[in-house]
Amino acid sequence: MTKGNGLKVIVSMIGLDGHTTGGEVVAMLLRDAGFEVVYLGVNQTPQSIVDAAIQEDVDAIGISSHAANYSLIEELMDLVRANDLDDVLVVCGGNIPKQQIQKLTARGVAKVFTPGAASDDIVEYLVNNARRSPAIAMSA
Amino acid sequence: MKRETDYGYKIKSVYSPEDIPDFDYQKDLGDPGSFPYTRGYHAEGYRTRMWTQRMTAGLGSSTDANKVLKKYRDMGQRGGMCVISDRVFSDCIDPDHPQARREAGVLGWPGCSLLEFEELMEGIPLTGQSITLLGSSAPTVLRLAYVVALAQKRGIDPSEVHGSVMESPFENYFGQTDVQPFDLNLKLWLDASEYVVRNKIRMRSSVISQHFQESGGNNAQAIAVVLSMYKELCGKLVNERGLDFDDAALVPYELVSIGNRFFEEIAKVRAMRRMWARMAKEHFKAKKEKSCQMLIAVHTSGRTMTYQQPLNNIARCAIQTLAGAIVGCTALDNATMDNAYAEPSALAARMSLNTQHIVAVETGVTDVVDPLAGSYFVEALTNQVEEEAYKILKEIDDLGGMIAAVEKGYIQTMLREEAAKKFHEVDRKERLVVGVNHLVIPPEEDFEIPIQEVHEGDSEAIAKRMEEWKKTRDMPQVTERLRELHADAGRGERFNLMPAIIEAVKAYATAGEVIGVIRMARGLSYDPFKVIDCPYDFELEAA
Repeated sequence: MTKGNGLKVIVSMIGLDGHTTGGEVVAMLLRDAGFEVVYLGVNQTPQSIVDAAIQEDVDAIGISSHAANYSLIEELMDLVRANDLDDVLVVCGGNIPKQQIQKLTARGVAKVFTPGAASDDIVEYLVNNARRSPAIAMSA
Repeated sequence: MKRETDYGYKIKSVYSPEDIPDFDYQKDLGDPGSFPYTRGYHAEGYRTRMWTQRMTAGLGSSTDANKVLKKYRDMGQRGGMCVISDRVFSDCIDPDHPQARREAGVLGWPGCSLLEFEELMEGIPLTGQSITLLGSSAPTVLRLAYVVALAQKRGIDPSEVHGSVMESPFENYFGQTDVQPFDLNLKLWLDASEYVVRNKIRMRSSVISQHFQESGGNNAQAIAVVLSMYKELCGKLVNERGLDFDDAALVPYELVSIGNRFFEEIAKVRAMRRMWARMAKEHFKAKKEKSCQMLIAVHTSGRTMTYQQPLNNIARCAIQTLAGAIVGCTALDNATMDNAYAEPSALAARMSLNTQHIVAVETGVTDVVDPLAGSYFVEALTNQVEEEAYKILKEIDDLGGMIAAVEKGYIQTMLREEAAKKFHEVDRKERLVVGVNHLVIPPEEDFEIPIQEVHEGDSEAIAKRMEEWKKTRDMPQVTERLRELHADAGRGERFNLMPAIIEAVKAYATAGEVIGVIRMARGLSYDPFKVIDCPYDFELEAA
């Protein structure tokens, strides 16, 4: 499967959240789908994630969140904006409550994948919406 | 749809005597209270001792958590308390650390000082109930120090307190990542364990399969992993710390995750009991029967509590609580319906506690010990998971034991692959989960449940309070105690740091400070995140 077409995606936890299972599973399935995955792991600050996004010139950032520290994701979005990375797709995954999903999408997170999201849906969404996606280029 | 156990044994539609051909009651089961303890440790089961019914608490400030503990006591939870730490305390940094300010009190108790423990325990008895404090390995020494310090303050002999405040160094690998190196966690764990044994304090350490399974491990792996950890850690207490095995064996306890597949979960625990009994006798040459009895508490599986249609989780939790009660356990904390969302709301906590009460008094399962013994299916399942677990145990032994297996990445790979397998099983509908990949309804059609919230302001308040409070301490005393601890920490692996840690904690040194100076003595940075410097100026004493 080469749907990912080498599109570059960060998969990262944020803050002190130590829950890595979800992020690891998604990193693996994205790799299998042909994405180039930059797996940052734990203890990432919003700043370190943005620094990696710039350094690696990624097309998407995926935050795996399992620890209710949503204000850090909001801070990430502020830094994305401040660093002119608005065209980089930012998505989140995890057990994020509905009210929180609304707040995150209002801050610019493109999509929040809740537990049980199908792997096909995750792959499809990234394929179609990541920064240098052929789908976006074609519709421009 | 798969009709097999999570470790791949294909389940038949009917079981009969041929499925347990060499069944020998005395050899394979024994009566409850008799070796090999497959049926449990008490002849009369729950009639003599009901399992401790507990719910976990910990959200917001220590005073908030204290209120919850009092509420739980009112709800009938008096046999034990269970408090989980926040990520800040788990990482042994203080709430006023730059990276901690936004996460103090989030998903747990901000237990960074004795002051926090005193506030947590205001009006709550230290004796007469089991005290359980959870949250990664390195803070083990702090949690133990808090208990000893508060007991002394209240004029209680620390040996009258019981429960569990210690956690094994292997937690780092099972999704309970703290930021400390394994060798430090191991050293601190050995110190704490040796301390409780030599001082006759009935505090135990979790050495558990729960986090391993909640991170995706299967039943056979879970048994092999927990037994390997027991083997390694008890071995070190005997060989490196000079303890008798029969004393060391009283340190660990197991917390097993109970999921939805009812009979398999029951078989898992029965096999675990039998395997430990044999390991204790054959490998460790146990002289006492108690050493052959693995203390097992049950945690109903948080992983199975779905985000979709959370009310369904009440049914799941009930099934799991029933399984936990039937198999026999010393304590039970069940997950709550809103586990996928936040710390338990009052409603969710009440539901889960009531579920335990209903199982305990309305179902009759507590009248009989190990009621499924003799079932062809359950005995076959017990044998199957045991056989599979022995294979994995041997692989770990061949690698050199649990620590070697972790160093070689074997355990991590096993866990990662199993987690991916479980994900794909659901993804491909080989395993069905109602509301998730089967009979899915749009979220708008679902019922709302109350969700516990922590506002960012709460974390900042905790951080600010600690910042201000730090300055009000007897600083010469704090400094002196930390200097002594720093000196002790340079005296080699065998030198037990607990006495110095307790003295530092009594002077109100904080988690960041205590672990920070220990780290420095070992050539590490004071701050695991390398953001702040040690605020104290020590000179390394000549060893």
